[in-house]
Amino acid sequence: MNDSGYAVRLEGVTKRFGKHTAVSSLDLVIPRGVIYGLLGPNGSGKTTSIRMIMGILHPDEGTVSLFGSDPDTTRREHVGYLPEERGVYKKMKVLEYLMFMGEIRGVARSEGKRRSQHWLERLGLGAWGDKRVEDLSKGMQQKVQFIATVLHEPSLLILDEPFSGLDPINQDVLEEIVRDFHAKGTTILFSTHLMDQAERLCERVCLISKSRKVLDADLRELKASERKGVLVVEFEGDDGWLDGPEVSRIERNGSGVSLLLRDGADHQTILRRGVESGATIHRFDLVQPRLHDIFVRHAGADAAGDAGLPKEAATAGGAR
Amino acid sequence: MREVWAVIRREYLQRVRSKWFIFSTIGIPVGMAALFIIPAYFGAQGSRAERDIVLLDRTGVLAPGLIDRLEDAGYRVTTEAWSEDAVADLSQRSSDGDLGGFIVLDERTLSNGEATYYGDDRPSSLRQFTIRQSVTQTALEQQLAELGVDVEALMQGGDLRVEVLSGDGSGMDDPQFMVAYIGSFFLYMVILLYSVAVMRSTLEEKTNRVVEVVISAMKPWHLMLGKILGVGAVSLTQMGVWIGSMVILFSAGLPAIIAARPELATLENVAEILPGMGLVALFLGYFVFGFFMYSGLYAAVGAMCSTDEEAQQAQIPVMMLLIVPIVMVMGVIQDPNSSVAAVASLFPLFSPLLMFARVAGGGVPAWQVGLSFVLMALAIVAIAWVAGRIYKVGILMAGKRPTLPELFRWLREA
Repeated sequence: MNDSGYAVRLEGVTKRFGKHTAVSSLDLVIPRGVIYGLLGPNGSGKTTSIRMIMGILHPDEGTVSLFGSDPDTTRREHVGYLPEERGVYKKMKVLEYLMFMGEIRGVARSEGKRRSQHWLERLGLGAWGDKRVEDLSKGMQQKVQFIATVLHEPSLLILDEPFSGLDPINQDVLEEIVRDFHAKGTTILFSTHLMDQAERLCERVCLISKSRKVLDADLRELKASERKGVLVVEFEGDDGWLDGPEVSRIERNGSGVSLLLRDGADHQTILRRGVESGATIHRFDLVQPRLHDIFVRHAGADAAGDAGLPKEAATAGGAR
Repeated sequence: MREVWAVIRREYLQRVRSKWFIFSTIGIPVGMAALFIIPAYFGAQGSRAERDIVLLDRTGVLAPGLIDRLEDAGYRVTTEAWSEDAVADLSQRSSDGDLGGFIVLDERTLSNGEATYYGDDRPSSLRQFTIRQSVTQTALEQQLAELGVDVEALMQGGDLRVEVLSGDGSGMDDPQFMVAYIGSFFLYMVILLYSVAVMRSTLEEKTNRVVEVVISAMKPWHLMLGKILGVGAVSLTQMGVWIGSMVILFSAGLPAIIAARPELATLENVAEILPGMGLVALFLGYFVFGFFMYSGLYAAVGAMCSTDEEAQQAQIPVMMLLIVPIVMVMGVIQDPNSSVAAVASLFPLFSPLLMFARVAGGGVPAWQVGLSFVLMALAIVAIAWVAGRIYKVGILMAGKRPTLPELFRWLREA
């Protein structure tokens, strides 16, 4: 581990499975000490990217480096990894399982036992140390697995869909722990398709869609720059006035309509058009874009580009 | 190396603590002991007064020889002089159960072997057979002795001196044959049992997905090594207990049993067929080398499969490598120094079973034994190289089992 400024760096990383390209020339830099969200729909290449960072898969092209040094030597002691597909030694007792997981990462058994007990207490599993892992519920097993991930106090935590399968209370507990690690200076990379979670936790996000990176930015700056925002409208009457050059996408939901606005669009023009059309407008609200909206805008546009259609036509068509 | 230790420790403790391990480790020696002792116990036909027999010898010459024979067979024999009163008294005692019965020998016994047995119950056929046999043999011996024949030598079946005119005098006696055959078969079983355990363990980690986390902390090769050493340590523990308990049973337990119950004297015959310690050590040597070869192959099979069903299929070629020598064992035992036996037993994957069978039979030059170990050591290195590469690629592979060309690609790429 040297003093390079980043925790993870991917350069031109490509991975193919047969004819399918799972990850296409991905460049990624994860600065030290940030909470970094790897976002994207299912099948977009998040897990493949993480597996390459973990050295489980080897990229067909490009390089992976961790903390500016050879990844193989760094991984064992400085990285904690929670894979998407959860696996445990079912027949082992919880405490022994944790001590084993610590031991293979260089934590002495006595120290591993102490830390395990501390974590089991913290996650409300204090009474379960002597039980077999298979006797625990799925959610409890997931917590045990999380403990195994952090036992060696890694400086980089890689969590693949860490919140899936947890109830809301435990999701909050996990969020809090992630924040604690962040406060201690740990770099955290997690993947999720839950935008709300990412929005609450991340400082920096990378959006992946169809095996390509479509966005990689600081979340606050991103939100600031995506000023175009979202217009929430509730009305009665004909809806022909909604569509226009200012609107990139129309989403209908229960009570009304959300309009994604293009850069520099003037929402007053839309309002004027509505009034002229004779519609009764109950609500006309310009809201901050959610990460979800930003994502849909970028991923949607990219998807359209992949399909070989003109962007405008594709998005407008998709909105109807 | 710490992570290798962790894997060894985990494999070892998880297995040694399992119910199956405890049951089989203790159960097998207990079962073996029972197998020897129970028949001997029943063969000794009860214990108490049953075994007390009184001899009424009216010939005056047969009693000493017959007493020896019956005592060898586990009876307690006393003699009394014949009289009407004695017969009445003995009949009464037999009916009361104080006595197993009594035998009357008279002139007819000497001439045609007839004797009369008096007892409360009809004696078992085994008891009848033992007594009849003893009586006729004693009578025969007596008659022959009067003719001046060396009865003792004759009764022992004479002596066939064997003069080997060519070759190095191979071929096996019966006990050696048993040791060679049972030993080889046992080797086959334990090598297969523990190598399959390595495969199952590999497969379990893979289907479990736990391997992803483990492999991010250590080299696949280290995981495989730890697993093989861990299971190997379990197997040696188990066999240590088995061999140790056998040694205790035969060196201390059996004499104690016989001292306490002289009627179980026949048990001593069992000890005669036991192999010597040198052969036991050789057995362990062939087991360890055989296990390292086959567990490597089985680990590779486990790593390239994703389900139990697939593994059942994929292990067949490896299993054949063990079945071929077990089929050949019989032929090798019958003709241990044929060139086929010599060559086959030097083929490393066959050596554990075939070379052991030949050595147990006797007459194998020491250099061949030494060479077999050298060749097996080389085979272990080669298998570790190949299996390690297949393991490395296979362990993280999901989906269908690789074809042979794909396997060769793995070897090149890994």
